[in-house]
Amino acid sequence: MTSVLFGLRLGRWGVLGFSIAAIASVFIQTVGYYQIAGHSPAEHAAFGAAITTLAAQLVALFPAPVRPDTVGGYVEFRGFHPLAILFAVWALVSSTGFARGDEERGIVEASLATGTTRVGLVASRAVAFAVGLIMAALAAGAGYVLGVSADRESVAIGRVLEESALLVAIGLACYGIGLLVAQLSPARSATAAAGGVLLALFLVNSLSRVLDWLTAWRWLSPFRYYDLSQPLPPGGGFDIRGFAALLAIAVAMTGAAALAFAYRDLGSALIAVPAKPRPQSHAPSANPLWRIAVVRGVYEGRFGLLAWSVGTAAVAAAFALLTRTVVNVMLQLPTLLPYLSIFVHQRLYPAVLGYTYFNVAQLLFAALAIAHVARWSAEDVSGRLEIALSQPYSRAAVVVERVAVLTAVGLVVTAASGVTLGLMSHYEGIDLDTGRLAAASLMLVPFALVFATAGALLAGWNPRAAVGLLGAFAFASYLDTELATVFKLPAWVQDLSAFKLFGTPLLDGIDGRNLALTIALAVLGLASSILLMQRRDVGA
Amino acid sequence: MLPEMPAPAIRTSGLSKDYGARRGVFDLELQVQGPEIFGFLGPNGSGKTTTIRLLMGMIRPTSGQAFVFGLDCVRDSVAVKRKVGYLPGDVPQFGSLTGEEVVAYLGGMRGGVDRRRVQSLCERFELDLSRRSREYSNGNKQKLAIVLAFMHSPELLILDEPTSGLDPLNRQDFYKLLREANDAGATVFLSSHVLSEIEQICDRVGIIREGRLVRVAELDELRKSGNKSLEEVFLGYFIEEPPKLLGS
Repeated sequence: MTSVLFGLRLGRWGVLGFSIAAIASVFIQTVGYYQIAGHSPAEHAAFGAAITTLAAQLVALFPAPVRPDTVGGYVEFRGFHPLAILFAVWALVSSTGFARGDEERGIVEASLATGTTRVGLVASRAVAFAVGLIMAALAAGAGYVLGVSADRESVAIGRVLEESALLVAIGLACYGIGLLVAQLSPARSATAAAGGVLLALFLVNSLSRVLDWLTAWRWLSPFRYYDLSQPLPPGGGFDIRGFAALLAIAVAMTGAAALAFAYRDLGSALIAVPAKPRPQSHAPSANPLWRIAVVRGVYEGRFGLLAWSVGTAAVAAAFALLTRTVVNVMLQLPTLLPYLSIFVHQRLYPAVLGYTYFNVAQLLFAALAIAHVARWSAEDVSGRLEIALSQPYSRAAVVVERVAVLTAVGLVVTAASGVTLGLMSHYEGIDLDTGRLAAASLMLVPFALVFATAGALLAGWNPRAAVGLLGAFAFASYLDTELATVFKLPAWVQDLSAFKLFGTPLLDGIDGRNLALTIALAVLGLASSILLMQRRDVGA
Repeated sequence: MLPEMPAPAIRTSGLSKDYGARRGVFDLELQVQGPEIFGFLGPNGSGKTTTIRLLMGMIRPTSGQAFVFGLDCVRDSVAVKRKVGYLPGDVPQFGSLTGEEVVAYLGGMRGGVDRRRVQSLCERFELDLSRRSREYSNGNKQKLAIVLAFMHSPELLILDEPTSGLDPLNRQDFYKLLREANDAGATVFLSSHVLSEIEQICDRVGIIREGRLVRVAELDELRKSGNKSLEEVFLGYFIEEPPKLLGS
């Protein structure tokens, strides 16, 4: 019991953050439905058709909605499906954080020294995570109940509980998988390995909706069993076998992870490859790159840079490959033609590709910026900033070098994804305007810098809270953009979103005012973070 | 005309850092006239690390000033660090960087590194730089921090509990290294609560208690005061009736 409470104590901010995100996002989507779906059956049907269109674009991410003309179908699609992905990410971070992060910090060793068995420790942390998940999933359900009640519609509480149970089950299954992979891989690559496995399992299931040959493999994916249930809409249902499969995966994977943990050495993977004998060295690296400001930062993060470049290029390629298929499906549905007419004045395929890809690219670049801010915060906590500042190097130079490194990394990543998008779309017979593609790709860099400099400011104020606060800002910004039209928010509220700054450069070209504002915000953030860095205490 | 006196290696004037609840450092008046080895003694939480961080410009004083070779530790922070080698109390973590890369990285920030000096330090402490920082034991992490502090042969060494984690043999090597640096003209300011090492290597000591400097004296002067050992003198400042020491 003490171990469970300790696990909950360690993860309390995650539980709180995800609970707030869950209740807020589901509540907003539910209330949003009543704002935009209209009141008559005909309006509901038209709205349902529009959502089906949207779903067709996102078929590689989310399952097709059931009865999106109803509040249950709509919120299932817009609220709960994205939340399932969010919970999977939470499970990934929590499982690898426990399995290897806590181990590196000595928390696992201290816990085992109290007489707790290894299996007992894994079980208690899994239970603690389950308790947190249940709280967040119930918060999501509460968001739905509150939203529906606000419109005085009745709610089938049983269905809401089924929906919450599904979220818990997918979260636990992902937690078990993450935990097992973390036992098998070296500590430094545990999160990447577990993330890679979960992403692969997600893609096997989601891409099987458009690539027939993958359907034979989707039984491997826990997301497949999640997809089998859609309890909220009329005509949907709760697949008890799918739910049981998720719980079975969770139990089997967590059990296997506990067994692997029992047989491995702390600090090592279950199957540790013996280190190759290396000649001893007593001299510093002769690599000249370490001597060049900015270049050394880029070089240090070269593997991450490679992963980001390949990852964003793969996303760009996937969008280019899927656009024609998705649009062709949409064109065959007469009810969707009114929706597509908004693109008629553009060339249809480039317009849809530009709109959908750059929406996702903005999120990716915000994540890239947040990843850098996480590194800056870690440097503060690990004492690396203190030792860097003990060199004859000004605090301003440290901040400027960090931002310059991110700029260089952003340029490489956007070049990789932009070139891939251009080549793949050309291969697919979708010809993008090269100038606009280059401009839109380059615009992602100052966009990321807005997040990064805001993050630098937060990291200077409170390094431990910086990533969480910046993530919350990104989430709120994205919600603002997504919901502004739904709730007919005033222009000044819409302008608060960082995503609003990006605009639609591939469709309409760069908006000079937005670009100037983006650069001004980045410069302002940089200047403020330099000032804060110069005035703050380091290492205190 | 009298020749101009060189600026002291360290001088503080009314230096305070107030964290509230009587935590911090208060009205510190201290002068370390190099070259000497100055030991800064005090129990945990007495303000040793806070003083060192003030000298390094890592934290800003609530009031007062600190100078290194006449340079203001806040205003002239970059110039101060050209002259200083620093070993922090909490050994920094460099994750997956190898020792070679850490030295090259920080040497690069310093504008270059004397490879022969690094090599001689690493050979002396048998520190293998080819290994990743995260793979180092605590002792090896401390050795790496020592190499980083000494690699540019600084005029002033500011060392926060430098021997923590070192085995007895390496401690003796470290004391020899300090003596050599001092003989070559460097000033050393080191904090410790290991009284035996202070007795072995320091010329002068300062004792800090609850953020206030309570005594600065030559080691010989302390020893002469009532034939007490340094340990008895030290305990005298913190315990009203010092316990009988073993063997005394």
